[in-house]
Amino acid sequence: MKRFIARRLMQGAVLICMVATIVFFLGRLTGNPVDLMLPEDATAEDRAALTKTLGLDGSLGDQFVIFVGNALHGDLGRSIRMKQPAVEAFFDRLPNTLVLIPWALLLGMILGIPLGVVAALNRGGLLDRAAGTVAVLGVAVPSFWLGVLLIFVFSVELGWLPSGRMGGPEHFILPVVTLGTFLVAGFMRITRSAMLEVMESEFVKLARIKGLSEGVVIWKHCLRNALIPVLTLWGVFVGNLITGAIVTETVFAWPGIGRLTYEAVIYRDFPLLQAVIILKSILILSINLVVDILYAYVDPRIRLA
Amino acid sequence: MARLMPRVATLVLLLGFAWAAPANAQDQKGTLVFAVETLGAQTLDPILEGRPGNAVYQAAMYDSLVGFNLEKGGVGPGVAERWELAPDGLTWTFHIRPGQTFHNGDKLTGHDVKFSLERQMGPGSLAAAAASMRRTIKSIEVVDDLTVKVHTTSPQIGLPAGLSRAVAPEGAIMPKAYIEKVGEEEFRKKPVGSGPWKFVRNVPGDRIEFTAVTTPHWRGRPNFKDLTILLVPEESTRVAMVRTGEASIASIGPETMLGATRAGLEVLSVPGTMQAIFQFWGTYKPEVKDSPIAKVRVRQALSLAIDRKQVIEHVMNGKAQMPYPFSTFAYTDYLSADRWKKWADEAYRYDPALARKILAEEGYPNGFELKFANTALPGTQFMVDIGTAIADMWTKVGVKVTIKHYEWGSFAPMERGDQAGLVGWASMYRTAGRPDAPWRYDGAFSPESTQRLLGDKENCQETCQEFVKTYRALLAELDREKRTALTDRMVELVTNAWTVIPIIEGMGYYAINTKKVGQFQAIAGRHELGDVFERIPRPEQKPWKK
Repeated sequence: MKRFIARRLMQGAVLICMVATIVFFLGRLTGNPVDLMLPEDATAEDRAALTKTLGLDGSLGDQFVIFVGNALHGDLGRSIRMKQPAVEAFFDRLPNTLVLIPWALLLGMILGIPLGVVAALNRGGLLDRAAGTVAVLGVAVPSFWLGVLLIFVFSVELGWLPSGRMGGPEHFILPVVTLGTFLVAGFMRITRSAMLEVMESEFVKLARIKGLSEGVVIWKHCLRNALIPVLTLWGVFVGNLITGAIVTETVFAWPGIGRLTYEAVIYRDFPLLQAVIILKSILILSINLVVDILYAYVDPRIRLA
Repeated sequence: MARLMPRVATLVLLLGFAWAAPANAQDQKGTLVFAVETLGAQTLDPILEGRPGNAVYQAAMYDSLVGFNLEKGGVGPGVAERWELAPDGLTWTFHIRPGQTFHNGDKLTGHDVKFSLERQMGPGSLAAAAASMRRTIKSIEVVDDLTVKVHTTSPQIGLPAGLSRAVAPEGAIMPKAYIEKVGEEEFRKKPVGSGPWKFVRNVPGDRIEFTAVTTPHWRGRPNFKDLTILLVPEESTRVAMVRTGEASIASIGPETMLGATRAGLEVLSVPGTMQAIFQFWGTYKPEVKDSPIAKVRVRQALSLAIDRKQVIEHVMNGKAQMPYPFSTFAYTDYLSADRWKKWADEAYRYDPALARKILAEEGYPNGFELKFANTALPGTQFMVDIGTAIADMWTKVGVKVTIKHYEWGSFAPMERGDQAGLVGWASMYRTAGRPDAPWRYDGAFSPESTQRLLGDKENCQETCQEFVKTYRALLAELDREKRTALTDRMVELVTNAWTVIPIIEGMGYYAINTKKVGQFQAIAGRHELGDVFERIPRPEQKPWKK
């Protein structure tokens, strides 16, 4: 098990190095923060001075060497726009995103899992098709459009909920629904296929032969076994939520790491962009590592593979 | 009885104050909530943001050495109530308005002015014009508490404009004693200014909160008690917030104006905030000499092929106007604005028949192929629609346009260096509303400039040379009339060259919930409302008119 964990950690470290390198160079291909910080009539002299002040006057290679050197000491640079350590900016905003995620996951599970069960029980029937439609819509509807639609209906027309920004519990509802809709579809589809597979198992047939009621067979025996693949996909879903929060946080003016990423891209804030992507990658890799370890713990074939 | 009189008088006076004080406090109530798409660097230290966007929020709490002409929109009195240039043109003397104080109670003096300008020029400054200031300002001398002299290396006629928020944020005045006492880091956490709003809280990525000063202020004592500036990047959310009353005012684009009006919101247009223009790159270069766009009349024909009124009506929803010549506005200093307005109305008319005729006379009866880079500067996304519309209009006179869209971050680097990706191309561009034309003209047309649209150092022909001569004469000219004549000449050279051609004069747009705020006017040319917040009335109050 220790060797398995060590191997996964090594793989994670290599992956992070690759992500950092790619982000460093790709980010710089998209332009220059100086162009966005100066007005269009700034002189070449002002441009050169600001480039130097921001530490962007060296060659790309020199800048990369400095970046790697600092990163090895845990310093991912200072945000060009916010003038604070990029890591600090990330962790300032991270809690704002993390408070949304459990609620979105909960919404996805509460609606998605029962829908998946119902769809599996009515395979090919009307309810299955209805649930399938929900799944398709959940995946296909852009969260940007859904967010704007929810604001229009529940804030502007009905006046029930605020349009955006962090605040009391009522501020959470629309962003959580927007984020969670995708998950409802995801959980529904996985639960449905897992249920269909489990329902064909020998032990389910045995349970029925033993005379257990259909409710006990479905909700106790089938669902419990079908939930194993569902729960292992949590890691993937949390990763999706962390990266997918960009749109939701932008629409709802939610000051989380999603919007921080958006702002870093828009302002060509290279140090912040690098830090955000690297830290997000570490976060997602850590979650996946935990899931993998748990999975390996449950299923020895994984760690022996 | 006589002994009692002073006590009675004192009591009456105290009662009077007690009555008056709550009345004053009651006079300022409610929160003015303003939603904007960006807060830029969201820093309250004026040296840490170079973009004028900080005028949205820094202007609330900082005063600028030179202020606005509220009527006309150009430069006007600020922290300095007047200023004059020495006969040799090398020294500007600023006379500070007496009785100004910072929010911590410190008096605002010439020492603060000198400290602030030197801080803006300092090595840690990100101010857009920091390097230019270092080059042009030789020294700053405090004559007394209310008089400051700025000695320059050469005549700098435009210096007061450069220290006005009407142009740039470099004139913001900061408290010397406070910053020296608490240090820069502490100042950034607890900034102190002298404006009509005091800093309360800065929540990164979300909002900045201010509270009104309760004493009279030369910019006006705020009618609201508090001011909150919200960062709401998505435009439809901003409009929704104004509709629900979560925000009182929100910045919007022209594409949202109709929807906001239909939803019952008032739309405020700020005139003269920008010009959408198109320009031709490297037309003087040897490798472009055979290109149609190397010919002045062809470039003029492309202007005649543009139906600006259609663009104003359909792209800008009627909230824009016919432009003046490049980078000039009704409020431009030292310009015969009326004369140029008449000229522009005629020259920028829609005349496709004449456009075709000129093209035929120049040897292109069947049109030609034109490469066109479409782009929009931050905050002016509608420029992409304007670019698409004019490309379509050019096709109607036979020009085959190959249009390529660029995000601004990708476009901007192309205009530097050898401009290889742009030479021989036309592109969209923008110029912001500013009261001083020469600075912008220098940046666009001088052979040493970044854009060098009339000629570069190797290829500076007649018009380019004439421009250089006129611009240099303009910089040294102290006489108002001669300066105006030189500005007119500079504008004439550029208009006759037809390399940079205005399409429309744009405005700044705001959606307003009239249940939350009363009626007010913006300052012409200033998209930001930073210097207007204190004048905005509550709904039950009289409208503010300049």
